[in-house]
Amino acid sequence: MIKVAATTKTIICIGTGGVGKTTMAAAMASGLSEHKKVLVLTIDPSLRLAQALGIKPDGEVYKVKNNLYACTLNHAKAFHEFVLKAAKDSASPEQIEKLLQNKLYKQLSTQLSGSQDFSSLFKLNEFVHSKEYDIVILDTPPAQHTWNFLHAPEKIGQLFNEGVAQWFRDPDQKDTGFLKRILNTGTTQVLKVLENLTGSEFVKELGVFFRAIQKWQTPLEKQVWDCHKLLTAKTTEFILVTALDPSRISEALRLSSEIEKQGYNLKSIIINRVPVWIKEEVTAGPVVRYVKYLKALEAKLVGSKSKFGPHLKVYKSHELSHNQLHVENLSDIYHRIELI
Amino acid sequence: MQKQQIHFVTGKGGVGKSFFAAALAESLAKMSQYSPQENVTSKTISKPILLAEFNDHSFYREYLGDKPAYFDLAQWTGAECLKEYAIHLLKIESLYKLFFGNPITRALIDVSPGLLELAILGRATSYPRKHGPPLKYTHMVFDAFATGHFLTMLRAPGGLAKIIQFGPMGEQTRSIDQWIRNPEFCHIHLVSLPEEMPATETVELFETIKSEFGITPKVYLNKYLFLKKADLANEPESVKIYFTNLLEQQELAEQIFKDHKIKYVPVPLIPEIETEKLLHEASEYLLKEVL
Repeated sequence: MIKVAATTKTIICIGTGGVGKTTMAAAMASGLSEHKKVLVLTIDPSLRLAQALGIKPDGEVYKVKNNLYACTLNHAKAFHEFVLKAAKDSASPEQIEKLLQNKLYKQLSTQLSGSQDFSSLFKLNEFVHSKEYDIVILDTPPAQHTWNFLHAPEKIGQLFNEGVAQWFRDPDQKDTGFLKRILNTGTTQVLKVLENLTGSEFVKELGVFFRAIQKWQTPLEKQVWDCHKLLTAKTTEFILVTALDPSRISEALRLSSEIEKQGYNLKSIIINRVPVWIKEEVTAGPVVRYVKYLKALEAKLVGSKSKFGPHLKVYKSHELSHNQLHVENLSDIYHRIELI
Repeated sequence: MQKQQIHFVTGKGGVGKSFFAAALAESLAKMSQYSPQENVTSKTISKPILLAEFNDHSFYREYLGDKPAYFDLAQWTGAECLKEYAIHLLKIESLYKLFFGNPITRALIDVSPGLLELAILGRATSYPRKHGPPLKYTHMVFDAFATGHFLTMLRAPGGLAKIIQFGPMGEQTRSIDQWIRNPEFCHIHLVSLPEEMPATETVELFETIKSEFGITPKVYLNKYLFLKKADLANEPESVKIYFTNLLEQQELAEQIFKDHKIKYVPVPLIPEIETEKLLHEASEYLLKEVL
């Protein structure tokens, strides 16, 4: 069983792809829901896990059992919600519609790598602040680097930068003529180059996009700041999930020291999919080389424990048989997580 | 130089893409009968194979050092590829600085999903397109992004061609799109594991790539166990349980591929902890059984 501080309100599961982060997030939620009301926000769960939880990928919150709730984030929808919320007081329905039809916006809301990270954080922040749940657990997007996720607010924030919007400002809301309003020759040259490279249609789209979003700088900055506060709050706990593989362990070591340096509250490391060690000696037969390999992995695992910071708790979780993934078994996974 | 081929290695996170890409690069080098020469610095000899990683992690540096014996190693970031392209196109370095130092350009790069990915593909296809600095490798192996991001990358030229219809960038974009759809030139390797979830995801990716880009990817089942349940009859109970579970998952994965009529190449689980030895063994296997 993994210990979580009594004051913890948010748990963020981080780690690279393919280590079973989503299942671990769901297992923690299930175990913790025995005493608290818990919501788990998942991203792209496997079909099997989604079936086990009984949820659909539609961004809605589903009651799984008793105090356990789950939601699969829908990024396009979350990003859309964010834009509507930001635009609410400053833009007319026509202006909003114009932005929603902008080609760049359409790509941004669905494809930009940072937008997924940003919309997860935006939803997390919303759920935490709703105070509906005692604990909200977020399974982070499968970003190659956790940094992409942690720095998503700034990345998105840059788009809304007042300086950028200024180049395209057009108080008359006309699509033409913004080039005339450019303030210095350097920018004129840049826009010319851009137009030569990409054609004037693209520059026009760009102008429409930046003019539309510049007004939302203030509400966005507030959101970015709120997200940042949430990530660094004392009531937010990070859990790093990794797997038993020499290169994964090295990766986890690097990641954990970086995360701590940046001031995030990393408490635990879970090494997932650790086999149940074979106690018997096997000296002959077809599996002898594999058993030897497993024993070498075990030695490596025990050896790696001391390399993590002394205040970090290092846990292991055993591989689950493929046909055991039912909602009842999720709590079992949680209870069977043990300190190394 | 013989015709160049490019190889993208992709798959779900954690299936062993980096490992497989390195093993593939090494086996391609061995196939071209390239053998590492001792006491010669790698700068003075031209190797036929390039292995480039798109992801920013130090897997290769940690396990292979900066100069692996069999192939050249590089890290291709979108930003760097874009810079190279822009300098090539704008010709003048100062204009480039003005262009990239400008907040509009920086915002444009951030706001245009696929632009950095397009730049990577631009460099990957620069040889047959005769555009940009020549990369004279017979094979270029790319340790590419995982599933979703990989698709975003492949779709980037097509997507951007719709927005940027004119100018040299429009033309370039269409030509990149054509080359990545050329099955003689562009090869896609999907790495999967003998487990249900990675298998299902691989089937989906396989079908998407085939229908959208007309390329039939090659599928590999990494960490395949060449064991049968009957082999375990005389083993202790714990050994039996452990391996039976793995074999059951493997059967499930194989059934998924059979149901979708997708051929796969099993790549054996090599019980070796040292990465260098692991790579040598895997590359020998690929050379013998696959290439």
